[in-house]
Amino acid sequence: MESVNDVKQALSARSRTATLDELRNEGRKRVRLIRAEHVASMITEAVNAAVEQSGLVDPEEVKKLVDKSRQEFRSILREREQEAQETNEAQEQLEARDREIAELKKRLEQMSGGKAGASVPVSGDLSAVLAKIEGSINDRLEKIGKKMGVSAAVESDTPVDFSGLFKEADKKLESNMENIEVKKTEGGGIAANLARLKKLKGGS
Amino acid sequence: MTKQDKKEHTETQVALGKGLDVGTANFAAAVQNEDGGITVTVERNAFLDIPSDVYSKNMLVKLKVPYVVHNNRLVVIGEAAFELANVFGRETRRPMRDGLISPNEQDALPMMKMIITKILGEPRVSGENCYFCVPAPSLDVDNNVDYHRGLFESVINKMGYRAHAVNEAHAVVFAELAEQDFTGIGLSFGGGMANACICYKSIPCLSFSVARGGDWIDKNVANVLGCPRSKATHIKERGIDIRDPKSREEEAVAIYYRSLINYVLQNIKTRFESGQNMPSFTTPIDIACAGGTSLVGGFIEVFRDEFAKIDFPLPVGRIFRSEEALTAVAKGCLVAAAIGES
Repeated sequence: MESVNDVKQALSARSRTATLDELRNEGRKRVRLIRAEHVASMITEAVNAAVEQSGLVDPEEVKKLVDKSRQEFRSILREREQEAQETNEAQEQLEARDREIAELKKRLEQMSGGKAGASVPVSGDLSAVLAKIEGSINDRLEKIGKKMGVSAAVESDTPVDFSGLFKEADKKLESNMENIEVKKTEGGGIAANLARLKKLKGGS
Repeated sequence: MTKQDKKEHTETQVALGKGLDVGTANFAAAVQNEDGGITVTVERNAFLDIPSDVYSKNMLVKLKVPYVVHNNRLVVIGEAAFELANVFGRETRRPMRDGLISPNEQDALPMMKMIITKILGEPRVSGENCYFCVPAPSLDVDNNVDYHRGLFESVINKMGYRAHAVNEAHAVVFAELAEQDFTGIGLSFGGGMANACICYKSIPCLSFSVARGGDWIDKNVANVLGCPRSKATHIKERGIDIRDPKSREEEAVAIYYRSLINYVLQNIKTRFESGQNMPSFTTPIDIACAGGTSLVGGFIEVFRDEFAKIDFPLPVGRIFRSEEALTAVAKGCLVAAAIGES
């Protein structure tokens, strides 16, 4: 009954847990229940019935197809679970850092309310600690981002200037080009093209 | 633009902005003229070096053949280089390959700059817009379009213009599909590449290039016939009709033309089918072909033949070749430049 377990896991991954009090607060007095085994059984029945009715697939092929689909399903499920785990870990790390920051802020407030002479050096230490924590959080977020395929790198808007590579082209060379006539041809105007383009762009 | 510049421009009454087609085979610069039309200056992007001596130099001067003295050699530039190469059975040197600056011809840059300066002329006002074409990233080769664009941006900016890059096939749409509100497919069959751009109301939805063009045809024709590539180019450009080849040489050209067209069409089809967020065209769209490689006789008929063989994923209306196929990209760049100036 691996399929039942699969369905249970899928339902668990894609559903939320709510207490009876929470449901009551949402205005629900009665809820309808269904067992995961029944859902799995209904899916299997529906798929088998559809395949049999179609008459297009050999029963042996159906079995292979079902096995392959099951493998695929488990693979996707594993991926989703791993992603969810990574996200949870990241969330936990962030919450831990938030707690540390809150604790340190609290200590800072307590100290600044105490001896005035001692507050200056302690405050300086604390700023350094806060900066360190902030740096640590940023590093971790960047690592998580990289894992999830999100890069923190940004492209500059400034185009690459290649002009340094072409200094050779600026040399003055001996030539008779100035005295040579180049071939010229006359063509139809572009007024109509410009008028259409301006109209498209909302101009007059 | 300064007030003085604007005043001078008003006095001349010629719209500002210039378009430059930076092609593997040809450079073309387009500018609006006083008659309301456009003037396009074209020069071949090729050169040939010959030993430098007084006699040869005098001959070049007398014959008005453009040359540059570079590294103690005489370098003949442009169309004349191509003609001389054919006479002497030599290959021209080509600063660009597959639509981009060639890594094998780094020292060709001064010559290329000279050609651009000659055909583009001085800017009429400081910082006049010059839109130049760049190819789209290729499907079949790993190329560095950024370096290519940076190089020409640098050269054009140094001349006093404000350089802007525009996709080559997008320029074809600007030049040829105005009546269709710039909706359709623009194809530029150049020397080094074929570029494609599908636009909806002037906005490019999909653009790409394949590293096959006129040079690819020349290379293959030269291989099967056992002749220099410039000879193959000459055969291709002497006015043949690829629907009715008259010799073995013309037959070779026709075969490779058909193959090139089929390759481009198949790639458009595949790219469009696999593209995400593509617009769905409810009415048939037009296909405009341009570029020097499309100038050969029978091109558009063979294109239609090949198109009919494939199950194209879009409703297509008219398939046509630009009346000014060689200069359409430059014209499209000029449209972009003029809009940029307005």
